Amino acid sequence: MTLASLRQKLLPGGPALDIHVHPLNCFGSYGVSSPVEDAERLVATARRSGVTRMCVFSLYETTPYEPTPDQCRQANDYVLRMRDARPDAILPFCYVTPAFPDEAVAEIERCVGKHAMAGVKLWVARKATDPGLDPIMEAAVSKDAPVLQHAWLKTTGNLPGESTPFDVADLARRHPRARIIMAHLNGVGYRGIEAVADVPNVVVDTSGGDPESGLVEAAVRRLGPHRVVYGSDAPIRHFGVTMNKVLGADIPDADRRAILWDNALRILKLND
Amino acid sequence: MIIDVNAWTGPWPALVNVPHDAASVRASLREYGVERMFMAPLAAAWSANPHLCNRIVYEAADAYGDISPVPVIDPTLPTWPAELEKAAGHRAVRMIKLLPGYGGYDLAAADELFEEAGRANLASMVQIRIDDPRRHHPMAMVPDVPAGDVVEAAKRHPNLKLVIGGTSAVALRECAAHIRDLPGLYADTSQVDGVDGVEMLVEEGLGNKLLFGSHAPVFTPAAAIARVLIDLHEDTAVGILKENAAGLLGV
Repeated sequence: MTLASLRQKLLPGGPALDIHVHPLNCFGSYGVSSPVEDAERLVATARRSGVTRMCVFSLYETTPYEPTPDQCRQANDYVLRMRDARPDAILPFCYVTPAFPDEAVAEIERCVGKHAMAGVKLWVARKATDPGLDPIMEAAVSKDAPVLQHAWLKTTGNLPGESTPFDVADLARRHPRARIIMAHLNGVGYRGIEAVADVPNVVVDTSGGDPESGLVEAAVRRLGPHRVVYGSDAPIRHFGVTMNKVLGADIPDADRRAILWDNALRILKLND
Repeated sequence: MIIDVNAWTGPWPALVNVPHDAASVRASLREYGVERMFMAPLAAAWSANPHLCNRIVYEAADAYGDISPVPVIDPTLPTWPAELEKAAGHRAVRMIKLLPGYGGYDLAAADELFEEAGRANLASMVQIRIDDPRRHHPMAMVPDVPAGDVVEAAKRHPNLKLVIGGTSAVALRECAAHIRDLPGLYADTSQVDGVDGVEMLVEEGLGNKLLFGSHAPVFTPAAAIARVLIDLHEDTAVGILKENAAGLLGV
């Protein structure tokens, strides 16, 4: 096997949409001077791993756990400028905080309604069981936008506002019309898969944690291939490492294609 | 040819429905072009006597010529000299492994073992972590070994070939100057992650001190290869995937 053929084997062999990406100015080790540079560098590194399109959400450059509404607005303006630079690749998500539900709803109206952002991102300000999420979910449903909710199960202890997969299941049951992407398959693990198994409006993204063997296969077996989507969590994680969790999984090629492309199109309501 | 310096075999509690026998791990690595694998016993991490677990890697080496056994040696067991002697006398052993996080000892306790390993011309890998502490079983939490402790050991044992196994890109960047400057100190790539993670370490001057490690079967072999091959020019990639290990381990 030559290195050239091995490189080919590590690529998806078709389009791939990464549903979980952050700007380099949030987490990367690179210093970037502008959203344009951020977009260009991020897209270049993603393309090396075969990622053709990506959902990008900023958590504001200092990534505070309790962002203010103004920080969320600035974060969202940043990814809008990234999309302006690379509209062929970048699908921006609107970052809001349930600590300020009214401002969050207004921001969804601005970003999703006016600027056609592709979805809504929720992180660790409040758990998914918090009532502050309810008006956000209703706004997302009214805009027909999916919501990507961070989740982890940390033995070392979640943050006070950090959702577990059980919290995400609760959110999905409260809002059965919402399309929810639960982040971090490798962060929630086997218990996380089980937590959302009977909640059909939740899909799980493959990001988070290490490229642990067997988890993608387990998610596909338990949830079905239509409920697993490729996500990298770049730049914290490497596009190619996370891509090859999927490419290297012992699953049928049709399931791989669903995870890397088809499912994301369905959730985002995009055409091919 | 790719040389994997950090493969394992045997059961691991967190792995579910993942084949872990030596033949399966070997096949999963060969599928991605790995033609020589240095294999250690996973069960040693949780064994009261890790030496008892080394048998499966010696047997794997008897069965397959491309497997080099990496016995785990615990310097706090009084039988470590005999276990080291056995390793040094085996035709295919080039490296031993220490699991101080699981053995519950400080690396200072390994100084005599390191001296003897150096005399026997065996490299020593110190495993920083096996899996992410955030995902450990709540009743079985094991903290990472500080990578800086391995750097200090390398300073105390300048004639030893010492490999930092299974640590993060962030920790390696913090130690980069030491790894670059201490001739016997190397690191593997098995837990380097993040956008351009290996490429950034190369830019720190570690191109000739990095060794490819897969961490299979705990991690997916394809992902391990991807983190090295996707971002690097061929010469640099070949160094990390093969040549650095070939030079260090005399393959």
